Amino acid sequence: MALVLGAATAAQAEPLKLALVETLSGPQASTGLLYRDAVKYQIGKINEAGGFGGAPIELLEYDNQGGPVGAADRVRAAISDGADVILQGSSSAVAGQVTEDVRKHNLRNPGDEVLYINLGSEAMELTGAKCHYYHFRTSPNAAIRVNTLLDGMSEAGVLGDKVYAMNQNYSWGIDVQDNTAAAADRLGFEMVEKTLHDVNKIQDFSPYVQRVQAAGADTVITGNWSNDLLLLMKAAGSAGLDVRFGTAFLDQPGNIGNAGAVAEGHFLSASFNPEVNPEKTDAFMEDYKSVTGHYPSYVEPTAVFGMMLLQGALKQVEPTEDGLNASDLAAALENASVETPMGTLSMRGADHQAILPMIVQEVSRNAKHKSDGTEFGFVPVKVISAADAEQPVQDSCQMKRPG
Amino acid sequence: MPFFTEVSVDQILFALLNGTIYGLLLFMVSAGLTLIFGMMGVLNFAHASFYMLGAYFAYTLEPLTGFWMAIILAPILVAGIGILVERFILRHVHEHGHAHELLVTFGLAVVIAEIIKMVYGKFAVDYRVPVELNFAAFSLSGIDYPFYRLLMGGIAIVMFVAIYALLTKTRVGIVVRSAIYRPQMVEALGHNVPVVFMGVFGIGAALAGLAGAVAGAFYTTNPNMALELGVMVFVVVVVGGLGSMGGAMAASLLIGITNSLAVGSDFRIADLMAFVGMGGWADDIGGLLTMRMSSLAATLPFFIMLLVLVLRPSGLMGEKE
Repeated sequence: MALVLGAATAAQAEPLKLALVETLSGPQASTGLLYRDAVKYQIGKINEAGGFGGAPIELLEYDNQGGPVGAADRVRAAISDGADVILQGSSSAVAGQVTEDVRKHNLRNPGDEVLYINLGSEAMELTGAKCHYYHFRTSPNAAIRVNTLLDGMSEAGVLGDKVYAMNQNYSWGIDVQDNTAAAADRLGFEMVEKTLHDVNKIQDFSPYVQRVQAAGADTVITGNWSNDLLLLMKAAGSAGLDVRFGTAFLDQPGNIGNAGAVAEGHFLSASFNPEVNPEKTDAFMEDYKSVTGHYPSYVEPTAVFGMMLLQGALKQVEPTEDGLNASDLAAALENASVETPMGTLSMRGADHQAILPMIVQEVSRNAKHKSDGTEFGFVPVKVISAADAEQPVQDSCQMKRPG
Repeated sequence: MPFFTEVSVDQILFALLNGTIYGLLLFMVSAGLTLIFGMMGVLNFAHASFYMLGAYFAYTLEPLTGFWMAIILAPILVAGIGILVERFILRHVHEHGHAHELLVTFGLAVVIAEIIKMVYGKFAVDYRVPVELNFAAFSLSGIDYPFYRLLMGGIAIVMFVAIYALLTKTRVGIVVRSAIYRPQMVEALGHNVPVVFMGVFGIGAALAGLAGAVAGAFYTTNPNMALELGVMVFVVVVVGGLGSMGGAMAASLLIGITNSLAVGSDFRIADLMAFVGMGGWADDIGGLLTMRMSSLAATLPFFIMLLVLVLRPSGLMGEKE
């Protein structure tokens, strides 16, 4: 019966289902909700252009409640609801769980594979020891972030000789620390000390600031996000400490507003800046605002670009009777590339890591687009091309390809 | 390998001062919690939400009234909310027992957090230390000590002295303390016990609101601040002994100072084992034995709580029931 029905309706195949498994409630929901805005925005674009296989794409939303346990459960639910692609981005700890679950599902269900598009979890292991054929990372990773940041700061002459690595004690923070240490010889700085601390538990960072001061550091390189970044920066500011921060997530909404002048002169390496390529970027910014009600910032542009890459790959894929053959999409994604307002974003086949341009930027009063209604914003210091930002494939990635 | 990394006297001084002030902040929030528990036997899960409300109220009032009026008015508003909560919610569920009260306050905490997110957005708001208070009090070996931290510590000490005096030296204090032990007797003597309870709940909420109004400007004012501090406040109250004001003070300082010292220490268990010639073995084993104290700093308070619960279940200064 099902077979007959399937054959009869082959002309209008089942709609493609994308499942967003994000943190949509609880303390870390703010970032998850930004991912939702970005994904919804670009799916709207895809559907305006005709969707996939003649039908609009469906977006299913699942709340992973911020942790790997919730994510494992939600991924199972998404797959049983018929999701073809899992989307996630806001935590490397969650991503580690999701990618393993997807890998195991695909091992056990050949012919019924599911793809995992990682829109923003940047721990190295995801394209390293844990890499597999059905995982694709469309955002930078820790090596790209840290090396572009250090290169840009070094070139601008603000890196200094003594660098302190202050990071959160989990996969992402450890990666930032390791990559900072690895760049010491190349860029000729001394890594005076490194600290790993608990994630989003610390209220009072003044003891940590005291350590930075005692180490005599010129620069603090940190992968911290959310309160861990804000409180660290404010504590350093109120102690009158003369250090410059090099960060990965300073552009999170609220940070500049809360830190105020304390943030001035600090650096960020990110895959978006509103002042780069204004002829294309302005149109993107305005269109995004007209759809979502706010300008794209923080993780949103990169998530949109990741979805654009998926859109490009979907064009290369023929819909099948039951919607989509995930292996076809994976094959198309492996060599996909797309023009974003920032430049070319392309997928590297060897480890499924995106290669994309990075912008090293500084918090300054001269920014055209101000953050959080303050007088400060991010001014691009150096645009690093996708080719220059690229970091080598990790040896630990042993990808098994189908067939 | 040195047993302790070389630290200067200045650094230890700073660590002690940082720890003390952080401890005093913890005390400001936990004072109200322990006061309410001591009197009503209710562990108020929404207590840290009053802390958050204080910060957001002060943030809202500051542009209208200026900073000083804002930190005076915000706790009064929070006290009002506390009184309403006691009068119209807690009093109704009181007869159903402690479990219900606990659940109600837990639900209340969630509701307050969601309302804050709806009104003020999901991210931190720009509530900052006013410029005229943002200067260094003094400077030691190149590091400034912000005046505002001393101010926070000062406010906490004044608060402690005031509550202590109120409870032990005044008539009102006598009525409150006797209402805790013998509510029926106090009622028979003509005092309105429900009003006393309501007042104490309001004052407890106001103390948390004051802490939020003052600390929100220094740390961050965001929808998660209740959650972030809430756990630590419970640890303080449990370690200090439920219901004991002096215990809350002692536990706050203990936690603040150990935390601050631990961050500055690179001590590892492996170093300790080196004294009995097992250092190399411990280094090989790795894991917990080679973990630096500094990366465990935020976990220490929970370890202290565990230790206290095992050795002295009623807390440092709690009374055995």
